[in-house]
Amino acid sequence: MTSARRGNPVLLGFAGLAGLLLILELVPRLGLVNERFLPPTSRIAAALADEVGTAVFWQSLGDTLYAWAVGLLIAVVAGVVAGLVIGSVPVLRELTASTVEFLRPIPSVALIPLAVLLYGTELGSTLLLVCYASFWQVLVQVLYGVADVDPVAEETARSYRFSAWGRVRYVLWPTALPYVFTGFRLAASVALVLAITAELVIGAPGLGKEIATAQASDAVATMYALIVVTGALGVVINLLTRTGERRLLAWHQSVRGEVSL
Amino acid sequence: MRRRLIAGLALAMVASTVAACGSDKDSGGSGTSSGGVDNVTVGVIPIIDVAPIYLGQSKGFFKTRNIELKLEAGQGGAAIVPGVVSNQFQFGFSNLTSLMIAQTKNVPIKAIAAGVSTTGEQKKDFGALVVKAGSPIKTAKDLVGKKVSVNTLKNIGDTATRNSVRLAGGDDKKVNFVEMPFPNMQAALEKGDIDSAWVVEPQLSAIKAAGGTEIASTFVDIDPKLTIAAYFTSQKLIADNPDLVKRFTDAINESLTYADGHPDEVRQILTTYTKIDDKTRAAVILPKWPIEINKASVQKVADLGTQDGIFSSAPDLGKLLP
Repeated sequence: MTSARRGNPVLLGFAGLAGLLLILELVPRLGLVNERFLPPTSRIAAALADEVGTAVFWQSLGDTLYAWAVGLLIAVVAGVVAGLVIGSVPVLRELTASTVEFLRPIPSVALIPLAVLLYGTELGSTLLLVCYASFWQVLVQVLYGVADVDPVAEETARSYRFSAWGRVRYVLWPTALPYVFTGFRLAASVALVLAITAELVIGAPGLGKEIATAQASDAVATMYALIVVTGALGVVINLLTRTGERRLLAWHQSVRGEVSL
Repeated sequence: MRRRLIAGLALAMVASTVAACGSDKDSGGSGTSSGGVDNVTVGVIPIIDVAPIYLGQSKGFFKTRNIELKLEAGQGGAAIVPGVVSNQFQFGFSNLTSLMIAQTKNVPIKAIAAGVSTTGEQKKDFGALVVKAGSPIKTAKDLVGKKVSVNTLKNIGDTATRNSVRLAGGDDKKVNFVEMPFPNMQAALEKGDIDSAWVVEPQLSAIKAAGGTEIASTFVDIDPKLTIAAYFTSQKLIADNPDLVKRFTDAINESLTYADGHPDEVRQILTTYTKIDDKTRAAVILPKWPIEINKASVQKVADLGTQDGIFSSAPDLGKLLP
């Protein structure tokens, strides 16, 4: 957020993007890469305009967003609940620590054969990969959040004989919330990447499958156009989660302390 | 007490989270009769080879036989054989080498109709070995000591290439194969990462349009009547519902015959499930779609594959072919 002092960040952002597009237009035109393998921006834009006019495109966009949203929801709910429970019971924490560290780095794509076996090319395959990848993002953040609870506050709540639920509600949850949001923001991006990867590799319905079809059809410009769409989707999702985070956590010190935009 | 309860719950949850994650949707699509109509899902690859089934679907060849067809275009076909075995798909499309590999591993599948065949004409087939413009390689014999890309190692691509090298009088043991998806081959060829590429349409047309030349029609080299791929199903479905399999086979055969006789409609149907541009669509060489699986040609592939060590044991075509 320090860039705020140097000018309008939105304008600067657009200028950066425009510069990138200009470079991508020039690189193939100057012959630095073969135009066949990286068409100039203008051709990609034309292909994008063609794609946007088709029903298949919107259907695929819908499929991708649906898989993303459902997968993310499952992962976040499961991650938050599991994180709060595991985090607040020391024995559980010790018991699961090594398991979590063992499972977390396993790349979701390694589960593709399992996903195919269980769900074929249906939505379930995508969900399995999305959930697996996003779940750890949330869980680990929530665990950190729970560990961050101020021991004095915790002891105070205990002395005042808060019920277990009361301690969760008034001590644990407010402390963990910013971590939950961080986990959510990370998971939202990871979920999108995995949703598109699953579609691309397995052929589950969505934008990824369209990219694969374009690639198999030798429609290079269309392929890049769809990749641009997935990139834009990532930007939008990130913007939305950040805005939501700032709004919902406006009361919290971590946000209050920030230089506002 | 409460703490123990929470601990128990938590354990149960950790154990089930991963499993629960993907399981909120049942794997629809499969299923049988609803009002006398069978819902059938077919696993295909979104390439030109399967145009007949899309065409047959639009012509109603399946509907008239009380089959409600749903086509699932999986990528690269990796999901198709497991999909058919697990009944996610009732039928699938796959090249015969892959089916023979499955057969030698006792996967319970059986071919029920022809899929796609070579045109049988040298230099006018839908798959070939190509080199880039100006390459010193002129025939398959020159591939000795060179690098050749195939889409899948230990499959029809390297068997066919080895065969063409042998026919041209070269030592096929000295050809180096690399695995690479078809769409990447042109760039790799032009960059010089590979000396030759084993490709199919539409990449074949694209490489030729960029000045590349064909050095061998590998399918034709094996047999001018080579059946390359087939539609198949699980042995379980054949046992449980022979009537459905019969109707599906009839519909496929009608589709294949229709596609063979109407190349313009084939080129048109490609717009519905591929993104091949209009220029390429008009230029690609279409395969042939005869309805019989040419057993002698498949036997040749089985022998070549056994000789090259692709199969762990010689495939039993009596069990695999209809």
